[in-house]
Amino acid sequence: MQRATSYAVVTVLVLAALAAAETTRQEMHFKVGRHASVSIVNQYGAISVKPGPGKVVAITAILYSTKVEIDNSKSRRRVAVFSHLLEGADAESGRVDYEVLVPADASVTLHSTTGPLHVEKLHGDMLVEGSTASVDVRDVSAGHIHVKTLNGPVTVTNVSDGLVEITSVGGDVALNSVNGSLVHVNTSSGKIHYDGDFGDGGDYSLTTHSGDIEAIAPAYASIEVVARSVQGMVEKDFPLQPEHTSFVPRAGSAFAGTMGEAASSVKLLSFSGKIHLKKR
Amino acid sequence: MTDAKKQQGDRLSEAEAIERAKQGDAAAFEALYNLHKRRVYSLCLRMTANTAAAEDLTQEAFLQLFRKIGTFRGESAFSTWLHRMAVNVVLMQLRKKGLPVVPLEENIETEEEAPRKEPGADDPRLAGSIDRMQLQRSIASLPPGYRMIFLLHDVEGYEHNEIAEMVGCSIGNSKSQLHKARMKLREILKTSRAEKATKP
Amino acid sequence: MTCEEFKRVLPELGSRHGMEQEEHLKSCCACSDLVADLNAISKEARFLQGSEDPSPWVWNSIEVALRQEGLIRQPQLEHSRTPTPVLSWRLRWLVPMAATLLIVFGVLIYQRGTGQPQTTQQQSQPAGVVTANLQPADVMGGEDLQLLQTVSERTPSMRATYEADLRSVNAYIRDAEQSAHSDPNDEVAQQYLRNAYEQKAMVYEMALDRSLP
Repeated sequence: MQRATSYAVVTVLVLAALAAAETTRQEMHFKVGRHASVSIVNQYGAISVKPGPGKVVAITAILYSTKVEIDNSKSRRRVAVFSHLLEGADAESGRVDYEVLVPADASVTLHSTTGPLHVEKLHGDMLVEGSTASVDVRDVSAGHIHVKTLNGPVTVTNVSDGLVEITSVGGDVALNSVNGSLVHVNTSSGKIHYDGDFGDGGDYSLTTHSGDIEAIAPAYASIEVVARSVQGMVEKDFPLQPEHTSFVPRAGSAFAGTMGEAASSVKLLSFSGKIHLKKR
Repeated sequence: MTDAKKQQGDRLSEAEAIERAKQGDAAAFEALYNLHKRRVYSLCLRMTANTAAAEDLTQEAFLQLFRKIGTFRGESAFSTWLHRMAVNVVLMQLRKKGLPVVPLEENIETEEEAPRKEPGADDPRLAGSIDRMQLQRSIASLPPGYRMIFLLHDVEGYEHNEIAEMVGCSIGNSKSQLHKARMKLREILKTSRAEKATKP
Repeated sequence: MTCEEFKRVLPELGSRHGMEQEEHLKSCCACSDLVADLNAISKEARFLQGSEDPSPWVWNSIEVALRQEGLIRQPQLEHSRTPTPVLSWRLRWLVPMAATLLIVFGVLIYQRGTGQPQTTQQQSQPAGVVTANLQPADVMGGEDLQLLQTVSERTPSMRATYEADLRSVNAYIRDAEQSAHSDPNDEVAQQYLRNAYEQKAMVYEMALDRSLP
């Protein structure tokens, strides 16, 4: 028994060593001007983007096999990096993990199938697209955040003064402390969770076909809200001022009204899911 | 790109490659690139005297060309079209950097203005003995304005009226700058040859 | 002619010398050597044309940019012997068609709401686009099957995901259409429909995205 265990341990160590031997590390540095544009296309693997010092784009890539190589191009203010799969590559052998440092005002475009994708502390525009990749965007201000996934879950945290557009077919979307002039979430079956102030006098639209919507707001929120589910239940923890709307609120499946000064417009729409406007 | 696709691309004629490139054929784009890359890159390299800058400019010239390839109708030679584009890309870059495309001041001392050398010195002709590598180095050491005119005329074969239009100077100025560039190169090459001759 | 006069006119003449200059060159070794040297430099310079090769990454960068800009398009598949121009035409128009359907329904619903005649439906469609089909959309249409076929060929592992997502968005479109038809004045129903088509357009866009091979 002891011998079998020893053999197993040795085998695992050898396999790990072999796997490690296959991985290679590449580093790239690009000098850029103001408002640079950085694009990473990576079918398999993680991409993490953070702000770095100076006007430099610094990329560290871990390639998991020789069946993938990295191409890059740079022209004026644009840096593009592309994981190029060679013949025979699959999700494991074609995997590349990227750590990217960019100037904080850079525009960022990320494309991946598996991800995960992570962006933090930038104030430029960003387009993050992942099929099944999970997307995590946090601590961003004053940029246009555009996220698209098929089924990858999306989490956006601590965004101020932004334009946020999230479209996901089946991925769950969670927004925490997200405020801006426009915050639109559109899912087909993914759940939507919002926990924030609905501030900035913005236009908030959380819509889904069959997912549930849970919106948590403080008592001091200043909103004009419309909530409707054609086939599901709707609930609210707040008393609302009644106001005229284009449809007659039906108890249990719709409500409409205002809180405070009604500075922001909030729409919570689900076709067959539940909607709950909660008090924090 | 696989080897098979590359070979296929190489076998394409330029006209076929242009038509296929208009349809988005990757091999056709590569074939066109391979046909013309040396001339474009060499031009950019000599104009900038910097490998990295030359590669960036080469990339930019081809990208501009490929973006417009749908509009190419064949009225002029494709190579001419590409070459003009490359020259324009380089000129724009030099203008952006504030470098003089054509020198305003003619302060470069040439042989005709320099003090005469000691009589009796052996000063054979350059003809038949110009080292090409040395010529390349000499061109790189020319002031940017002189280098530009020399490259466009003597290396790339543009006429003075074409050069004048491209760089925005008069035909007379183009001729004058070319002459001064050649005089300077003659001086550099002779000096270099003399230095080599005196070395043990 | 003196040497000074000769050198003064030399820039203007280049290699073409008149009688006077030729006579001077025959009698003046210095000027003759000068002309010979300048001609040699000019002649040697011509060999420098196209003598350097850029590094391979230049083409790589160009290719990446061309793919990202959509200038490089995937060739027709070799196994399809009989040309299928209709299918390839449809593939190229899938994404803009989905977006156009979005606009068409928006116009349609707006016109129903204002009581205007529906003649603009035809005008708003670009030439060659299949007319919007108002039948229940949760069943896979021809374009959806085409899309899945493309996904199967490019990334077989993603076919099941795309199939499930297409069914989901088709169901969304179906419910949204029914809601909009039952009350054309309902702004919320119109928003459902717009969102449903936005979802479908995104699925098509991601499936056909050439930046992910």
